[in-house]
Amino acid sequence: MSLRDFLGLYALVGLACAIAVFRHAPARGAGALFSALVTIPLWPLWAPFALAPARARGATRPENAAILARVDKALADAVAAVAATPMSDVFTPRTAARIASEVARVAGRLADLSALAEKSGFDQEASLRRLEQLERAGASDRALATARLQHDSLARLAELRAADARALDELADLLEALRTQLVLARYEGSPADDASAIVSEVWARLEGLGAVLDPGSPATSGG
Amino acid sequence: MVDLMFLNRILRAPAGVAEQCRSDRDVAAIARTALVTLAVSATAFGAAVGSLRGGRQIAFAALKMPIGILGTLALAAPAFYVLAAIFGRPWALRPVLSLVLAAGARFSLVLLAMPPPLWLLIDFGASYDVIKVIATIAYGLAGLAGLEVLVRGLGDGPGKHMTIFLFVSVFLLIGGQNAWVLRPYLGEPGAKEVTLFTREREGGLVVQLLQATGVLRKVSPLRSEPPPSAPPPPSEAP
Repeated sequence: MSLRDFLGLYALVGLACAIAVFRHAPARGAGALFSALVTIPLWPLWAPFALAPARARGATRPENAAILARVDKALADAVAAVAATPMSDVFTPRTAARIASEVARVAGRLADLSALAEKSGFDQEASLRRLEQLERAGASDRALATARLQHDSLARLAELRAADARALDELADLLEALRTQLVLARYEGSPADDASAIVSEVWARLEGLGAVLDPGSPATSGG
Repeated sequence: MVDLMFLNRILRAPAGVAEQCRSDRDVAAIARTALVTLAVSATAFGAAVGSLRGGRQIAFAALKMPIGILGTLALAAPAFYVLAAIFGRPWALRPVLSLVLAAGARFSLVLLAMPPPLWLLIDFGASYDVIKVIATIAYGLAGLAGLEVLVRGLGDGPGKHMTIFLFVSVFLLIGGQNAWVLRPYLGEPGAKEVTLFTREREGGLVVQLLQATGVLRKVSPLRSEPPPSAPPPPSEAP
């Protein structure tokens, strides 16, 4: 095979990947087009990321899958509601894609926390049993303090997971409310002030969730 | 598009980034930032190298350098995935690719630091050979910086050194061949004309290495005389 044959074959696979990447993109904007164009020369490096399901990790758990399905539907309905209306500036497909991406990220981390809780060494009940066992055996204060610390940390981890799951659920409720507001504004012909306020609140909640789950990452800006 | 926090972390805490890649967290953002950084840094480094000759050579080298580096990564990264799996780390594709790209990002950030000293040396009148050596050293240093991410990413355990050794071998082979095909970067010494690619047809890098070590006999592709074993033409026969 000559260099020319190899490059031709490489470009052919790249073109096929680029079409798949463009079709797979959550929103068909300039970003999707750019991603597809980058895929042609760099498909071995970029296609696995661009073609990955946005919420592959989050959706692996049934409770996350249900929330993500609600979010997906609410966002799709909201985008459809504002299409070809002056409100399309309030809620663009790009905004919807970014919200979906952020929700998927948060859901993925929540799934990580849930998976962690199922690993050995992270069992809250086992840590409680161990603590009780040491207390019965009259173990030293140091051993008891260590066991208590372990149990308390696991309890806090469980509380954190539950709080995040609640917050994600409330976020799905909020997005459904946003969808309804936008539909209402479309048929009433009224300004979308309420919807704009909800969009701001969605971003604020996402930032709050992101800050809790990933203190190292910068807060996501609204849009 | 570019996560500046990631660039900060890849320089200061490569172990943390390697762990993030392995756990498949936000790897798409890592890949995106790494690709942009690689393209920008390689362009700047190429322009610096091409400035020895100046003129169109700056644009040619700035164009070819990112093609060479990204092309090498694109062809070598799947090999890392396979080697890691063979030697006891059967991880998913995305974590492995993100690890390679994070290493590429660290490599490119070190490379990005090189254009100013290169320009300074060129301005002081450094020769073709000196710049060639300095550019090679810069490339090597950047490579070592990137390698640290891969080493940390593989973690402890059997097969780590063999994976690294074989991947570096594959990477150097592909990188060397790519660089050979895309040459010249500095500009051919003595050539009056600046060309995008060299016009010599000398075979691939491996052929050149074998000829240099004497394993393969050097044959000029332009030679038109008959080979020594061929019978003489009838007119010269006794």
